[in-house]
Amino acid sequence: MDIYVQLLVNSLQIGAVYVLFSLGLTLIFGVMRIVNFAHGEFFSLAALLIAVAVPWLVDFGAPLPLAYGLAFVGGLCGVMILGRILYEFAFRRFQRDMIGSFVLSVGLALLMQGLFIEIFTGASRKLPTLIDGTVRILGGALTTQRLVLCVIALLVAVAMYWAIASTRLGKALRAVSEDHEAAMLQGIPYRRIAMTGFLLGTLLAAVAGALLAPVVVIGPVIGSAYLIKGFIAVVIGGLGSIPGAIIGSILIAVIESVGGYYFDPSLATIAMFVIVMVVLLVRPAGIMGNG
Amino acid sequence: MVSRSQAVVAAAGVCALAGSFFSKGDFASSLIIWVAVNVLMTASFRFVLLIGELNFAMAGFVGIGAYAAGMATTMYKLPFALSLLLGAAAAGLISLVVGFVTLRAKGPYFLLISFAFTEVLRLIYTRMDVIGGNSGMIGIFPPAYLARFYPTLVVFITIVFLFVLYRLERSAFGKILVAIRNNDELVQTVGIDVHMTKVWCLGIASFVTGVCGALLAHANNVISPGDFSFLVAVYTLAYLKVGGESHILGAVLGAIVLTLLAQYALGFGAYEHIFYGAAIVIGVLVLPDGLYGLLQRMLPGLRRPASPGN
Repeated sequence: MDIYVQLLVNSLQIGAVYVLFSLGLTLIFGVMRIVNFAHGEFFSLAALLIAVAVPWLVDFGAPLPLAYGLAFVGGLCGVMILGRILYEFAFRRFQRDMIGSFVLSVGLALLMQGLFIEIFTGASRKLPTLIDGTVRILGGALTTQRLVLCVIALLVAVAMYWAIASTRLGKALRAVSEDHEAAMLQGIPYRRIAMTGFLLGTLLAAVAGALLAPVVVIGPVIGSAYLIKGFIAVVIGGLGSIPGAIIGSILIAVIESVGGYYFDPSLATIAMFVIVMVVLLVRPAGIMGNG
Repeated sequence: MVSRSQAVVAAAGVCALAGSFFSKGDFASSLIIWVAVNVLMTASFRFVLLIGELNFAMAGFVGIGAYAAGMATTMYKLPFALSLLLGAAAAGLISLVVGFVTLRAKGPYFLLISFAFTEVLRLIYTRMDVIGGNSGMIGIFPPAYLARFYPTLVVFITIVFLFVLYRLERSAFGKILVAIRNNDELVQTVGIDVHMTKVWCLGIASFVTGVCGALLAHANNVISPGDFSFLVAVYTLAYLKVGGESHILGAVLGAIVLTLLAQYALGFGAYEHIFYGAAIVIGVLVLPDGLYGLLQRMLPGLRRPASPGN
């Protein structure tokens, strides 16, 4: 019994980060019809900036929580600035051009990855633990730090879900992703909404990267693994669908933790691929996709 | 009707053959083989783009061709021509099955599945001990009597397949492919089986890709799972974007120019990433029609109705 609870707890904590990551992917696809291959690099950049800033601030004499707080804010700001620049000079021109924008994002991802390796070197970084201790939930063990991470990630995801479902901006985002021309006819400023959607998606990737920074070993290519799984999650759920991204992420997390426990991680990845194939055979546009 | 531009292309082909025959030194011959194989890979990648799909599974099929040919040569000691054919046939046949399943999805879905396919295939190689697992396969040599002419042979095969792909694109079949890209539902209403046409398109392209893999395996003598990651497809995309996708010569041009340029930028992982990444970004933002488009503008004689324009 204990082992099932433990696996469930593990799935939840992996899934929380995947949900944030794939929500961003699906949001960007929804409003701009862009399959953003560079999404993982925003994730990497947030984690890397924090990994550099925290030891630097601690050297300056800042207490650890303050250092984390400042680094967190700084990391998110850095990513948002990059996102804004890339939107302005690159992505904006390729809205609704699926192949063109994808090719562009592949190039950007490769370029950024190379630059990260150059700037941050290939070294792996591990940050000091922010919160010590472990908690037990129904017999499953979890470090307090990871529990806090999960809770924050879930709160952000719920807030985002609520915002998209109920606020004025959320309604505009959904209208644009359903039919951008009809949305424009209703007086929704498409360009501004598209940019907001893109930046929100970028912010979600950055938050996911920032949350993981204290708990994992950070290297310059950390985003790639999340990118692949995030894509599998949104494809299973249906590109552009918010509930689909959440369902897909949880499914991927369960496969990863259960498959990783009973078999091994590479078999779990193969299993994800098989599931994608099966889902697409039955529903060629994902579980929640329409078309 | 042999136009001037066709004559120029034919002359360039003959020069490439002669050049590869008289080239001396290991580095020169490896370079020739890389360029030729990259040209052919880019052309086959472009062939699937005719139906509007970005085929990232291409990297996986290069791997299948390489491993199948490698096994045929090292384990079963088959003649070179037969292992070449086996590599190509394995890639082609597997792609027909994979395509039959995955080509129901299109656009972003197909793209991401083909990407996942490549990565999963790579994971499977690392787990198969028969083909060397993580460390790969060694000792894949072309037969001794061919060793001297190997670069010439590779260039020759490349030219033959380029011609085949070009003729196919110009044929009725090729016109259907472009029609599917423009409006697949319309093609369906005329009574053409869109799904099977796409499957055959992928099959043909993958057969050619398999040839590339087999040639590459015999040129490098060593293959390992890491050689066939999705980056192969990304680099191919860079060749195509820089060269220009409106004409098959764009693929040829891009692959030659970038492969040669990369020799300067080469060295360590990060520089390679930056080089290809920057090439794609610049290609997309600054040269939307690629080098071929630039040439067309400078040499009006080349201008002709670009076939698969958007």
